[in-house]
Amino acid sequence: MGAPRSFAAALLRAALRLAPAASREWAAAMLRELDFIEGDWAALFWALGSTGVIFRHAATEWRAHFTNRKTKEEQMNETGKKAIGFMSGLLGAFVVVLCALGVQLLAEFLFPTLKIAYRTMTHVTTVIVIPEAIFIAVAVKLWPKRGAVAAGVLFFAVAAGLHIFIHFARQ
Amino acid sequence: MNLRMSPQTVLVLDAFLVQADEWKYGYDLSRITGLKSGTLYPILMRMAERGLLETQWETGEPGKPPRHMYRFTPDGLRFARTHSQSHPASPLDRVAIGQINLGLPVLDRAVRGWR
Repeated sequence: MGAPRSFAAALLRAALRLAPAASREWAAAMLRELDFIEGDWAALFWALGSTGVIFRHAATEWRAHFTNRKTKEEQMNETGKKAIGFMSGLLGAFVVVLCALGVQLLAEFLFPTLKIAYRTMTHVTTVIVIPEAIFIAVAVKLWPKRGAVAAGVLFFAVAAGLHIFIHFARQ
Repeated sequence: MNLRMSPQTVLVLDAFLVQADEWKYGYDLSRITGLKSGTLYPILMRMAERGLLETQWETGEPGKPPRHMYRFTPDGLRFARTHSQSHPASPLDRVAIGQINLGLPVLDRAVRGWR
């Protein structure tokens, strides 16, 4: 066996050892064909071409692997963004209700003669009806572009509505 | 079926179409088509990935390492018959890949450079 053929065999054996599992069968096939090539230099050129193929195939496999991983990360980021949007909608709605409650308490403090604390309809209108109307309008407006935020607002609106319904039903 | 029909791919399909039911070896395909291993094997890999080729290790004499063989699958045979007729390798393509010569090395080199 001449030097070029020996080098060719050593090169392909090294490529076979380093090749990832997906390329190994093909690397073994190319190495095996080396025994049937007439001429040492032809064998060397065969090995050089084959080594290039093995590494290109391996690079494609690795690239596909990392591309898939990136896609999964992007999906996770997408889910995280939706969760943050939902929570911000929920929190925003809660702040609106707190503000409404604050306005009512301020009115009671500023105008004690009106006896707002004893007027159920005023309380219901300020803290329930107006905020719920705002929630529905905001949810409708946000739904096409910020669905997660709209869902958070709607979720709070439904929860608050149920809370009030149960409150009045028990009285 | 998504397989780029380069002149080299057409040559490989043509080579497989000759006695299509027989198993073929990589080096034999290289000699028939005139393609180097660096060109031939990526085509074989793509064809195998797309289910056009079936591969098998030859169970030869004991003590000798097996040899990798290739043959069309039924889908591959249908694909090759359809596409080999619609994308025949032109004589210039055959010159470009060194399968045939024009007789003058200068002309051969010019065609290879141009293609």
